[in-house]
Amino acid sequence: MSLKIDVRQAEGVTIISPQGRIVFGEEAAALRENLKRTLASTRQVVLNLAGVSYIDSGGLGTLVGVYSSARAGGADIKLTGLGQRLRDVLQITKLATVFEVYDNEQEAIATFHRGAA
Amino acid sequence: MAFPTIVGPSSGTGSGVFPTLVFVQGNEQRVINLDHSPFGVGRKVDKDLVIADPRVSRDHALIVSENGVFSVVDQGSKHGTFVNGERVERKTLERNDRLEFGVREVAYVIFNPQHGTTNSAREFLSQISGMHISDETTDLEKLVLFLEAARKLNTIGVLDEILMTLLDVTLKLTRAERAYVYMKNARGELRLAAGRNAKGEPLLDDKTISHSILEDALNSNSEFVLTDTSRSADLTGRKSIVAYDLRTVICVPLRKPQVQATRDAEAPAGAVSAEVMGALYVDSRFASRDISGVSNDILHAIATEAASLIENARLVQAEEAGRRYQQELSIAASIQQRLMAVTIPEVPFAKLAGRNLSCKEIGGDFFDAVNTNEGLTIVLADVSGKGVSAALLASTLQGMIYSQLTAGMPLTEIVTAVNRFFTDKNIGEKYATVIIARVQHDGNVEYVNCGHILPLVVSSGEIQRPAFGNLPVGLLPDATYKSDHCQLKPGDRLILVTDGVTEAENARGDFFEDSRLEQAAKTGTLEQIFTAISSFCGGTPLNDDCTVVELLYTG
Repeated sequence: MSLKIDVRQAEGVTIISPQGRIVFGEEAAALRENLKRTLASTRQVVLNLAGVSYIDSGGLGTLVGVYSSARAGGADIKLTGLGQRLRDVLQITKLATVFEVYDNEQEAIATFHRGAA
Repeated sequence: MAFPTIVGPSSGTGSGVFPTLVFVQGNEQRVINLDHSPFGVGRKVDKDLVIADPRVSRDHALIVSENGVFSVVDQGSKHGTFVNGERVERKTLERNDRLEFGVREVAYVIFNPQHGTTNSAREFLSQISGMHISDETTDLEKLVLFLEAARKLNTIGVLDEILMTLLDVTLKLTRAERAYVYMKNARGELRLAAGRNAKGEPLLDDKTISHSILEDALNSNSEFVLTDTSRSADLTGRKSIVAYDLRTVICVPLRKPQVQATRDAEAPAGAVSAEVMGALYVDSRFASRDISGVSNDILHAIATEAASLIENARLVQAEEAGRRYQQELSIAASIQQRLMAVTIPEVPFAKLAGRNLSCKEIGGDFFDAVNTNEGLTIVLADVSGKGVSAALLASTLQGMIYSQLTAGMPLTEIVTAVNRFFTDKNIGEKYATVIIARVQHDGNVEYVNCGHILPLVVSSGEIQRPAFGNLPVGLLPDATYKSDHCQLKPGDRLILVTDGVTEAENARGDFFEDSRLEQAAKTGTLEQIFTAISSFCGGTPLNDDCTVVELLYTG
């Protein structure tokens, strides 16, 4: 199981930082569980992917799945810390238009405070 | 998918299931069906078994079948073909033979492996029933007989056969009239598992046995309980004994073998009673032999050996179930392979070729090609995840797309329909990246790219990457899809790949990436691209399927 997930609070927003590889199987399942649990008690999540070395199709599916159910439940997940690789993947899959991506944690948190959608 | 053992099915009896090869390389093990002959082994990517190691020759060896006999034939390889450590040119293969091609230890193949045989058990059973144990047979001889039975049966797994043998042998050893074995089910309830009388006839009901003695035996800590009613003073409560005139009753609780019980329950050493998993019950009536003189040694041997026999049988049965499941998967994999077999359409204006390198027996990539009035359409798709679930969806997806293509549907409508199917059916986090490209005779290409790796167009030695894209299918229900166009000149090549190619890793953790792909595609053929991938990876096994499709537009 090559994924560790750090969770912390900052200014009323929950920041989730996975470290390792998000791949189909145990790792994707772990991320899904973690996000589901978090979303049970908060509506504002920033997912910082700076520590993610690799994400495969299964991992991406999990990301989109959790994002969709978060939105359906009135919560929001903003992404930050995307490396070049992940940016390329989101570009090719056109998911860059679906997710909100920010350059750093501060900016993502700020949009929550501004009440921006 | 994780299974405790990966061993092929046993099929030496012409049941119609193909023999298997188990290919082992490093930590990877794969089961391959030998479902056609000749079966090619080598480094070339189009071999039936591809071993990506430089010491393996491109056309290293063939496995051929003649009249149901399989042989391995070396094809003049540089470093030789070995069977069980011996270098051979041609050799017939037997079960469990170990084949090595060019490299030793690093990668090898086991031919049609199998665990034990059931034949010896049946032979032995027939020996037992024919055996005559006279009154003169000493207790020691009887004991040896039983232990021999126990040891032989330990090699096979059929629980019912073992129970029957246990009863037969017990009856012979004790010279009792009837014997029953009871086993505890999953809920801990004692159930009759088998019964036998001295004539060898099966006994199906146990109404006339003494259940009260059986109860007592189970609750006691003794190894066995022997009741000689002619000596018992008090038979109140022993209804059956009185009613059916039972003279002697022997009950042997079957306790889980001590070592295992201790390991399982982490009981302190010297724990008194190990878990009871069943009981052996043996009786005879006044009218028949007096079995009360049965020696304690015999009963002791039965008590200890019987339990471990049964426990072994249960373990082997569980393993057998695992193996059968693996066999089912192998069959599913060969069905999938057949579905994936593409008949490349012949068109005057283009030459099409496609190759797939699977990392597992069953996968989520597929490619297909259909020629209609609308043009020559090629599809390449990659379902998310791996294993059986991905493969199942890949086959469904292939069916949907293939039928819509032959019906001449527009490309954007096809992917929209597929997206509806995946999202309506709420399959979970499964989605697919798809690219469909329709080539006309004039070189015009309409393509719809749904989240897939950008196609490559190799034109006059330069690489272009047509970049119009859409979301993958199956992710978001209200996604819309648009197509784009590009133009091919005669001599241009259109190349489609799945992300298994760009994400192929070497030992250092580097990825093959677009840069190396473009480099290989500039000057290389389909085969050369695959060679570039396997050279880059070295010994590192693929963690995802690789598919490359190449269309050469001739005009």
